[in-house]
Amino acid sequence: MSELLSVSHLRVSFRLDKATTIEAVKGVSFTVSAGETLAIVGESGSGKSVTALAIMGLLPKENSNVAAGSSVRWQGRELLGLPNRELRTLRGSDIAMIFQDPMSSLNPLFTVGDQIAEVLVTHHEMTWKAARKRAVALLDEVGIPEPAQRAKLYPFQLSGGQQQRGMIAMAMAGEPKLLIADEPTTALDVTIQKQIIELVNTLREKRGMAVMWISHDLAVVGEIADRVIVMRHGEIRETGTVADIFTRPQDAYTQALLQCHPPLDHRPRRLAVIDDFLEGKPPAIALQREARPQVGAGETAIAPILEVRNLSKHFEFREGLFGKRLLKAVDNVSFTLPKGRTVGLVGESGSGKSTVGLTIMRLHQATAGEVLFEGKNLLTMSAREQMPYKRRIQIIFQNPYASLNPRFVVGDILLEPMRIHGIGANEREREALARTLLDKVGLPALTLRKYPHEFSGGQRQRIAIARALSLQPDVLICDESVSALDVSVQAQVLNLLQDLRDEFGMSYLFISHDLAVVKYIADQVLVMHAGEIVESAPSDDIYRNPQHAYTRNLLRAIPRGYAHKTLVAS
Amino acid sequence: MSAFLLRRLWQMVPTLFGVILLVFVLFNFVGGDPAYLLAGKISNPAQIESIRNQLGLNESYAVQLGIFIKQVVTADFGSSWSTNEPVSQIIATRIGPSLVVLIPILVIETVLAILIAVLVAYVRSSLTDRAIMVACTVAMSVSLLVYIIVGQYVLAYQFGWFPVQGWGESLRENLLKYAALPVLLGVAVGIAPNVRLYRTFILDEVNQDYVRTARAKGLDENTVMLKHVLRNALIPIITNLMAYLPALLIGHFLIERFFSIPGIGREVIMAVERSDFPVIKAITIYVAIATMVINLLTDLLYKAVDPRVKLQ
Amino acid sequence: MSTQAHSAGLWTLAWRRLLGDRVALVSMSVVALFIGLMLASSLDIVAADWNDEIAVGYARPSLFSATAVTEQAPEPEAVSAVIPQVGAGDTAIADPAAVLKQLGLDDIKITDPLAKELDQILATTPAPEIKPREETRPFGADKWGHDVLLKVIKGSETSIFVGLAAALVATVIGTLLGAVAGYYGGWLDDLLNWFYSIFTAIPYLLLILAIAAVLDQKGMTTIVLILGLTGWTGIFRLVRAEYMKHRTREYVQAADAIGASNFSRMFRHIFPNVSHVSLVQLSVHTVGFIKSEVILSFLGFGVPVDKVSWGSMLGEAQNELILGYWWQLVAATLAMAVLVTAFSMFTDALRDALDPKIK
Repeated sequence: MSELLSVSHLRVSFRLDKATTIEAVKGVSFTVSAGETLAIVGESGSGKSVTALAIMGLLPKENSNVAAGSSVRWQGRELLGLPNRELRTLRGSDIAMIFQDPMSSLNPLFTVGDQIAEVLVTHHEMTWKAARKRAVALLDEVGIPEPAQRAKLYPFQLSGGQQQRGMIAMAMAGEPKLLIADEPTTALDVTIQKQIIELVNTLREKRGMAVMWISHDLAVVGEIADRVIVMRHGEIRETGTVADIFTRPQDAYTQALLQCHPPLDHRPRRLAVIDDFLEGKPPAIALQREARPQVGAGETAIAPILEVRNLSKHFEFREGLFGKRLLKAVDNVSFTLPKGRTVGLVGESGSGKSTVGLTIMRLHQATAGEVLFEGKNLLTMSAREQMPYKRRIQIIFQNPYASLNPRFVVGDILLEPMRIHGIGANEREREALARTLLDKVGLPALTLRKYPHEFSGGQRQRIAIARALSLQPDVLICDESVSALDVSVQAQVLNLLQDLRDEFGMSYLFISHDLAVVKYIADQVLVMHAGEIVESAPSDDIYRNPQHAYTRNLLRAIPRGYAHKTLVAS
Repeated sequence: MSAFLLRRLWQMVPTLFGVILLVFVLFNFVGGDPAYLLAGKISNPAQIESIRNQLGLNESYAVQLGIFIKQVVTADFGSSWSTNEPVSQIIATRIGPSLVVLIPILVIETVLAILIAVLVAYVRSSLTDRAIMVACTVAMSVSLLVYIIVGQYVLAYQFGWFPVQGWGESLRENLLKYAALPVLLGVAVGIAPNVRLYRTFILDEVNQDYVRTARAKGLDENTVMLKHVLRNALIPIITNLMAYLPALLIGHFLIERFFSIPGIGREVIMAVERSDFPVIKAITIYVAIATMVINLLTDLLYKAVDPRVKLQ
Repeated sequence: MSTQAHSAGLWTLAWRRLLGDRVALVSMSVVALFIGLMLASSLDIVAADWNDEIAVGYARPSLFSATAVTEQAPEPEAVSAVIPQVGAGDTAIADPAAVLKQLGLDDIKITDPLAKELDQILATTPAPEIKPREETRPFGADKWGHDVLLKVIKGSETSIFVGLAAALVATVIGTLLGAVAGYYGGWLDDLLNWFYSIFTAIPYLLLILAIAAVLDQKGMTTIVLILGLTGWTGIFRLVRAEYMKHRTREYVQAADAIGASNFSRMFRHIFPNVSHVSLVQLSVHTVGFIKSEVILSFLGFGVPVDKVSWGSMLGEAQNELILGYWWQLVAATLAMAVLVTAFSMFTDALRDALDPKIK
């Protein structure tokens, strides 16, 4: 195989302000050969995307710096320091790139067809007329139905999956030898992700191009890559063939990444956390292997703490002069949450799963239905009647950066709920309670005096959990609470949630798009689609024997990594 | 589209009513009895009473408001208190000279400001960029009075390049002779703030993801800036421009006053000086209506530049 | 994560950023100097004697001979040198105020409505002996021999006070209404938006002129209220948008979930997160109102005639310029330009320092 791209000793730094410069990439070397798929895997801040932008020469001029001694060679020719004029002839023709968020990556004011045609006009000296015609053919190639009509649409008129297909068509227009795909499926639902992965694989085989696939998700990488590079903190931890990385990982960090994500085939007692590996401690494999018993049998014997009956939430949009359009975000949803159990609510974006949580909390006004808490309907209570119940149901949100008030110190964040509900006799007692809570979620007592911006995403989510716990709730709604976290941090928070549930006997309504996470933590799983619950079954059963077509579809779409690939091959 | 127009026109009714109410409250409560103001000028007690009756000042406030609404609806605001000229005629004759000055200012200023802003955006965060921005800030800090006073004194009075003031009969004469200096000064006043603003709009777009995509396609910097970035930046520029239009009509009243241009702005100042209520009231109402119509046009214009806008 | 026990909040961090910015420091110092001058002047610590006629009419500016004092009356040439330039109807041939003093009428204010007529009469009578006056001042003198520098300082009192006070009024109104409209939405939002649409349908300056037309009494309070009551709309719109954005943020929903009241969510939770918008707008509007005050005073709709403001100075300077007396114009323009430039740069620095992009 001939070598297309060779990166050596690449160092990139960013100047944040006069005093601070951060080194994002610290001396990275690798090669990409013609026709192969190289995956770069890493968590946020690993420098994987910066590496890709450096290759393309797309780093922001204002504050980035590629250190001397770095080298990026394309078919033997040095790209760093190449005048922009020459670099432009490579960009979009020999090397093409697609990005994470297709909606914002497409220009909102030009049709998809014209944006594709622009590549052809630029690089192949085609006329606009010919280029537009070719754009339709490209859209057809990437699997967009009715390509002639779709070519005339603007990006906002297409779905997320179609937008990303459009981006891929644009990349294909220049007949690239290398496609750099920077987290191209992260913003998409799991079923769409599968389609995009398959599309890129097909195109690669058909066109014999090389692909550099950048992702945070090892499972996705396992499905697509020939070789894998694992990055962390701007450095390469390990490079190897996909088989080596998945079956014989040498680096502790690689091992940790492989083990931290909840597996689908068994149900460990606890998840491995990254520190176990990095500190060289043998991970508690025994504990991991020990399956947590499936609860659910004899479920009826346990009294429900929360019962949702025929819950509906409809949104109205004004249209035309007097017209209205109705969106049924949640439609006739019923389920029960037994005391001390976890119910998982799983669905893709727009399925209405988060709306269920918000409506139960009365953060949205329900259109119809009842939410019975120990038999009392929460939705019809007056504000005053609801106060004691507010203490008993709490919610933890997705985004740890948005869910803590940036102007409050952590002490205030934790004390405020206790003050409102009169928990603790005085401030001293409340502060002592807050310290205990911080200890429970694994943060030092010093945290009380600090502001949220001084903490990482995982730490902030722990603070949010502590805030919810300060009211000693009976029910905790976790709305995508671990979705924004890196996989290694996710495992820690999931373990914490498990421990707290066992310690305090809380009941969880666990809402997530991630089926593996839901399977791991929930006893009972509800699958939501288009505002309705399409299937409800005990957690292990739903994965073993899905009944509804949508559930089966969803399960099929989950990337299973390398093991799955070999299984299919044999 | 027609549903949209209908709804927008319907939405103007409460706003217009609010404006009428505000003007009514201002002139009938806050301002005290207008008849006394007139009395000072006419100095004839018999006439005052007849004027009071004529104005309906002896009626209840509800009836007075009714009279005012009728004036607005029939577009008949009576006659000026100081010149007895019908208000409708005043407005009809003053609007032309205002436009002769304002339209060139608006066009030149906008084109020039966009041009400079784009050039500055090319060299963003360079020394040139910073120097131009500082110059803009300083230029904005000098009162527009100073621009006009000094401009008129130096360019017209001292150098004699332009007539000091005046207004002619033909459009050609006005445009080329009398409006030239006022337009020059109007542009000088408006260019700095607009360059600063438009540069911000353009730089906001430069950092968007789709610009990175355009570069990744291999487009040259000119195409990226002039086609992709500028087209997007035009949306906030249009918003700003249209919001600025009605204020422009009045905002350059100082220019009209200094150069004795018989326009709306000069008329407003004279009316305020003479407490000529009918004229002020009429101009206020008309400008408010013009503003609402311009807002509607803005929405239609959005549709032309931004396919995402749905006129519902 | 730092190991300090007490850590810096966002305000402290913003303040530190501001102190680390050289442009911000310089502009802040200039603004502080002007505000200090304004306070000192209003307490009569400086420029209390601005109204004294210490120099000859239109004394030329001279930085070098600033202390030169003529013990006798101004030399005839100096006066005659002025006379030919004076246009018809100009009354500034002799120094009327000094004449009044001679006649024992110096308690009559120069700005008396009849002053002009009096000037006319006095101008036709032969000039009596004049008290010793300075021939030059560092920044020159006006028609009556008032020191221009002192006038500029006294004028800053009016201009800055009006700018700050009106901006404060507008910001408080805009912020409160914006908070209510953005937070509650619904009919309250509709109602306040109706107000907004009314106030924005009438161009700002036209509205001000209309109010000026109906109000008879002029004074600082009046002009502050006019500017403040009409200038809140932009702030309202911005604050409303911020509240609408923050209302659905997860930290506010979390506050709702723990049972925090609407009032607490609005002011304890959201307000500190949007207050930087109000602060920047306060700064922006101060600059805008200083400029507006200058124009209004120039037109004679602003501060009362017995007060000096940069606008009234420009009004006088307009006529003086034709006669070649440029110094009052330059002094007022320079003072305003320096202050407003510094204030604008400070505003930009403030905006950067408060940029909530940091997480």
